[in-house]
Amino acid sequence: MDNAALKEKFFEKYHGEELQNCIQCGTCSGSCPLAPYMDYGPRQLFQLAREGDMEEILKANTMWLCVSCYNCTVKCPRDIVITDHMYTLKKIALQEGIQAPTTKLPALYKSFMGSVERYGKITDISVMNRYAFRQPMDVMGNAFLALKLARRKRLEYKVHPVKNLAGFKKVMKKARELEKTS
Amino acid sequence: MKYGFFPGCTFKGAAGYKESTEAVSQILQTELVEIEDWNCCGATSYWSLEDLPALILPARVMALAEKHNFKEVVNVCNACYSTLRKAQDKLAEDERLMEQVNEALAEETLSYTGSTKIRHYMEVVVNDLDPEEIKKHIKVNLKHLTIAPYYGCQLNRPWGDIDDLQHPVMMDRLIETLGASVATNYSAKTVCCGASHMMPYEKNCLPQIRRIVSDAHAKGAQAISTLCPLCQFNVDAPQSALDLPDIPVLYFTQLMGLAFGLEEKDLQLKKLLVPFKMAVWGG
Repeated sequence: MDNAALKEKFFEKYHGEELQNCIQCGTCSGSCPLAPYMDYGPRQLFQLAREGDMEEILKANTMWLCVSCYNCTVKCPRDIVITDHMYTLKKIALQEGIQAPTTKLPALYKSFMGSVERYGKITDISVMNRYAFRQPMDVMGNAFLALKLARRKRLEYKVHPVKNLAGFKKVMKKARELEKTS
Repeated sequence: MKYGFFPGCTFKGAAGYKESTEAVSQILQTELVEIEDWNCCGATSYWSLEDLPALILPARVMALAEKHNFKEVVNVCNACYSTLRKAQDKLAEDERLMEQVNEALAEETLSYTGSTKIRHYMEVVVNDLDPEEIKKHIKVNLKHLTIAPYYGCQLNRPWGDIDDLQHPVMMDRLIETLGASVATNYSAKTVCCGASHMMPYEKNCLPQIRRIVSDAHAKGAQAISTLCPLCQFNVDAPQSALDLPDIPVLYFTQLMGLAFGLEEKDLQLKKLLVPFKMAVWGG
């Protein structure tokens, strides 16, 4: 997709048009706990979106560093639901096969989803096992912590899946079918 | 009082949250009836990568609650709480999504109307119970214990309808009811703990934890109270990396249990990484 088509997708399918109300005050960037590590703060990112430079935005690590703390959303004087736009940009980036070179979040999210799709639930272990394949160093670095947790019997080794797992999977499958046809 | 209860995935493995919640809810007669066959809410992972499946997960939990005629769904995790509420809001404002969600849920003969009220157990204790009734159960005097109430993000944000957005006071009131002191002007109350970013981006999130811990020390607290498994873990686990004095991080239900005279083992305090010893504070 080119910049124009991407902007249309963001603004129309995902309600990004409310970014036109942004007054570029920077309250969002100022209130964000992880803004110092972002390629662009939310304010800059939204200006780029309005200018239509979507390819640049989708390469940024900004949305992947969003922790969903909603601090920006509740402080925005124009009532823009900034956190939801961050979710949207993550989705579009992955749909387009673009991933910021520095971000490890898709690996973590996919590890989480892998467990949910299989069991309908997660445990720390079921997510970390999957994440270890994608980012072994992060998991190795926490081995000592894992040991401390194990000693306190805080690790659940077995996932207790949802009882009607077949039904659960049918519902999820149907959801994906409906999404494709809509 | 009887409530539909959504424990969420992390409840059981959290440091004594399950044991203390069960013990305390029995004492207070707030009956938490587990919603049968519940699934993961999806949390930020699904909101980040999916459209319809992100709504289906919380909708299925709420549909199960509706099936069993629960009017209210009680959560003990901020992420579960906010995910259910967020899904409810999104479905209420979009008929087409509502239809699609119900079409998918029909595969399991479930249906979702959005009739349940989504709540957090801490807020249930504060709003549904008379503080004088809670006080009747107090057996241990906690007046020498000063607690920093840490709320985290997703209980009150983005709605701000159950408490003040930046300076919530609900848990402060509970701590006072229990006879302990509240750390005054604890400004890190709603600072983000870093959530799942603590795993891949620990270095970037540690300044947040430092603020949560150092502000608790600065305001004279001897412990921090939390109401979310991820908050508890993120503030408890990395303290050894902070070169600050350690401070124990308890669940609000463990604090209630201590006031009600329950034993440390009933509340599984030994599962905390930074230990809390009641004897130190005199009791």
